[in-house]
Amino acid sequence: MRLGAPRVFAAALAGLLLAAVPLVAHHEILAKFDDKKPMTLNGVVTLVDWRNPHVHVFMNVKDAKNEVLNWAVELESPIDLAENGWSRDTLQPGDAVVVEGWAARNGSRQAWGNSVAVKATGRKVMTVVAKVPPPLLQTRPTPRWPDKQPRLGAPAPGSAQGYWAFPSATALVENGVTAPMDQWGLLKNIADAPKVAPLQPWAQALYLERQRRFLQDDPMFLNCKPPGGPRQFQQPYGVQFVEDRERKRIFVLIGSGNSNYRIIQTDGRTHAGQVGGDDDNPLYYGRSVAKWEGDSLVADTRGFNEDFWFTNGGLPHTDQLRLVEKFTRSDFDTLKYEVTIEDPGAYTRSWSANATLRWVAAEELPRHLCQENRP
Amino acid sequence: MRALIFIVALTLASLAGGTPARAQEGHPLKGSWIGTWTGNKTHGNDVVLVLNWDGKAITGMINPGTDNIPIKAATLNPTGWVVHIEADGKDKGGAVVSYVIDGKIENLPLPNRTITGTWKSQKENGAFKIGRQ
Repeated sequence: MRLGAPRVFAAALAGLLLAAVPLVAHHEILAKFDDKKPMTLNGVVTLVDWRNPHVHVFMNVKDAKNEVLNWAVELESPIDLAENGWSRDTLQPGDAVVVEGWAARNGSRQAWGNSVAVKATGRKVMTVVAKVPPPLLQTRPTPRWPDKQPRLGAPAPGSAQGYWAFPSATALVENGVTAPMDQWGLLKNIADAPKVAPLQPWAQALYLERQRRFLQDDPMFLNCKPPGGPRQFQQPYGVQFVEDRERKRIFVLIGSGNSNYRIIQTDGRTHAGQVGGDDDNPLYYGRSVAKWEGDSLVADTRGFNEDFWFTNGGLPHTDQLRLVEKFTRSDFDTLKYEVTIEDPGAYTRSWSANATLRWVAAEELPRHLCQENRP
Repeated sequence: MRALIFIVALTLASLAGGTPARAQEGHPLKGSWIGTWTGNKTHGNDVVLVLNWDGKAITGMINPGTDNIPIKAATLNPTGWVVHIEADGKDKGGAVVSYVIDGKIENLPLPNRTITGTWKSQKENGAFKIGRQ
């Protein structure tokens, strides 16, 4: 199928808009840094710490009293920096640099680096342009097994790689509700909080508290807790479906967090049969059993623990959470994700949200290990 | 002997203090809480609460074990995170001791959040402070 002029224009416009997004970090930058406090650091690099989840450049800076103080400048992840052509050797100890950034909210000698310029040349380094999905030039058919069942994870013929990323929604919002947020679910207008989902009073108050604190208490950011629930499909480094037909299960490999995985059982088992084993051991990803309904895989997931946030933005959940997720690969490059949330511990009724993901062809799933730079 | 008891108590206290609380991102009251209701001569100075949330009501127990005191009523007002707990226990003579605890959750986002306030019964009252384990 050839694209018409309006579609090409729309794709180009979307690409331009997305490319203008300056931040692609693995967590909410505003949780730690204050965009209302811009600052300039003029000094000399002492160390480059090239590790996940974020690269840090340490530098000596003279203060107003001519005293030398060491500052930590936080940059994007090694994955994003490497994709943009930078490496651990781009900056060396002894390099004089000028950093434009935002000050840490807690007043410590840390800054988010919006730009890093080498003084000797004026060259800006460690810049990152947000990755955008490639334009859809044609609609390709859904790949299928010989028995015609759709293949959720199959790459194109002749290619061994590919995964799903570029979620159309990066935080849960009930279908039909408009509540603008940033990439990490931070509301543009906190007055929208009551609209986002049918929250019980305590859950709404907790959600508001998390929003007012710029999501700084996010356990995925603080302690590298796994992105269980719909959150696994909201992350910047995507997911990969590995269909193990022999054992009748599907692995969902998660590119963000700690690169862990979730298992969806498709062997016809019921939840009742699993209660003895896992009921006392609720899980980050819950227990998923699924069956095919037409061209859609419908997964019923229960048995979640309460140790994590199940969506960007900090909507609370309890161990009564049950998810019904519907996965439909409507064409080769599009995965529809529809989820219904039932949690009588935190919500007044069940509710639903939708998103789509785009196929990233011929690329390996990024391996991001949050834990690398944590004690 | 006193010195030995002191050392053992100090060791236990330091071990308890060093145990990080398990993350709890759901209902803020759910979980095990340990602390003191200062001046309680009937049930001792130390107190343990185990609280649960079923989606409609807060339930639980004070000092679970042989000396347990079931919670009769408990509420959490999210405006200010104000906690109110009522529980009926018995003293050594078998007489009912009705407790009322009023407090406020502090450090809400942290796993080791606390509830600070007051407690009272028919005969006694004092300061109340528990921390989530």
